[in-house]
Amino acid sequence: METITAASDEAIVAGLIRDLDVGFTDLVRTHQRGIYSGALRLTRSHVEAEDVAQETFVRAYRSLSAWGDTRLATLSVRPWLWTIALNLVRTRSGRPTEHPTPDGWAHPPATDSEPIDAELWRNRLGRLSENQRTAVVLRHVLDLPIAEIAEVTERPEGTVKADISRGLAQLRQIIEWEVA
Amino acid sequence: MTDIEQALRALDTGPNSGLERRTLVTVGAADLVARTDSPVGDVWVAWSTRGITGLTPRFVAEQLEDFLMIHRRTAYATDSLPVDLADAVHKGLDEGDTVGLPIDYAGIGEFQHAVLAACATIPPGIVRPYGWIADEIDNPGSVRAVGTALGRNPIPLLVPCHRVVRSDGSIGNYAFGAEMKHDLLVREGAILA
Repeated sequence: METITAASDEAIVAGLIRDLDVGFTDLVRTHQRGIYSGALRLTRSHVEAEDVAQETFVRAYRSLSAWGDTRLATLSVRPWLWTIALNLVRTRSGRPTEHPTPDGWAHPPATDSEPIDAELWRNRLGRLSENQRTAVVLRHVLDLPIAEIAEVTERPEGTVKADISRGLAQLRQIIEWEVA
Repeated sequence: MTDIEQALRALDTGPNSGLERRTLVTVGAADLVARTDSPVGDVWVAWSTRGITGLTPRFVAEQLEDFLMIHRRTAYATDSLPVDLADAVHKGLDEGDTVGLPIDYAGIGEFQHAVLAACATIPPGIVRPYGWIADEIDNPGSVRAVGTALGRNPIPLLVPCHRVVRSDGSIGNYAFGAEMKHDLLVREGAILA
């Protein structure tokens, strides 16, 4: 059974200032689910998602250990982590895959560690543009507010909203085609 | 919520439990802990990427949970120490030779860190008075606080607080009892039986 210890930004920041390792442990415990869950739908396999998640936190730790207290006090944890994670997702998708397919998305073998529908949704989301996929996943899988998505993706809120509605419309179309 | 939005919301999935452990251990924010043997019996040894962070005999903390409650850092159990570290740890435990043994004082306050670091320089076969440590850390008036700091040593045996004695020649205190302190010092040839 999963225990989620969710610490507020305030608590995490106070922890980081007091003792980096203790604060960082709270940060990982609070945010690992969200970062992994989003990465799972934005990358091509659960292995990649774990790599992205782990690397996100490793980079976060390195940055945080170089920050002074003043800078730490300004930290907004979740959007900051997502900025790192999206960069990692982006740089991965740019690399050539081992088994390229026409739509650019590799189809990894199903494994026991993956949810059953993972590949199905990977294919569906894979047909969206990167911007639409990112916006849809952050908004509807992870429930991030529009303002935060705009901050993380560095796009205006109006554009994010358009990405989401077009992305959802596309998904609806894709799912209808599956049945046909 | 539309059906698609609902379906997407249901995609929220948690990671395998290994992610937290791998991440925290890799960056050095958390430790691994394993059991090993020593001249005082089975001990728990915890370490980070930077060095040994804790040692507790099983006669003090029998179960892993007991050790985890004492240890100041998050730690995850593993089967054994890595080979290099195991060699260095056993050299330290069996021969008292801790040269080159990496110690990680993370999470230890400044004063206690200074006390333990000074204590760590005392070689086997030697004893020093509490006042010597106080002088070493440029705080000659802190003899009592030195005693307290040594009493709370999270890495006994490897950071040899047993080699610190009273200036009047008496053994002084020891977390595992004066008798064990005495036996350790006899074993190291620092005092006669």
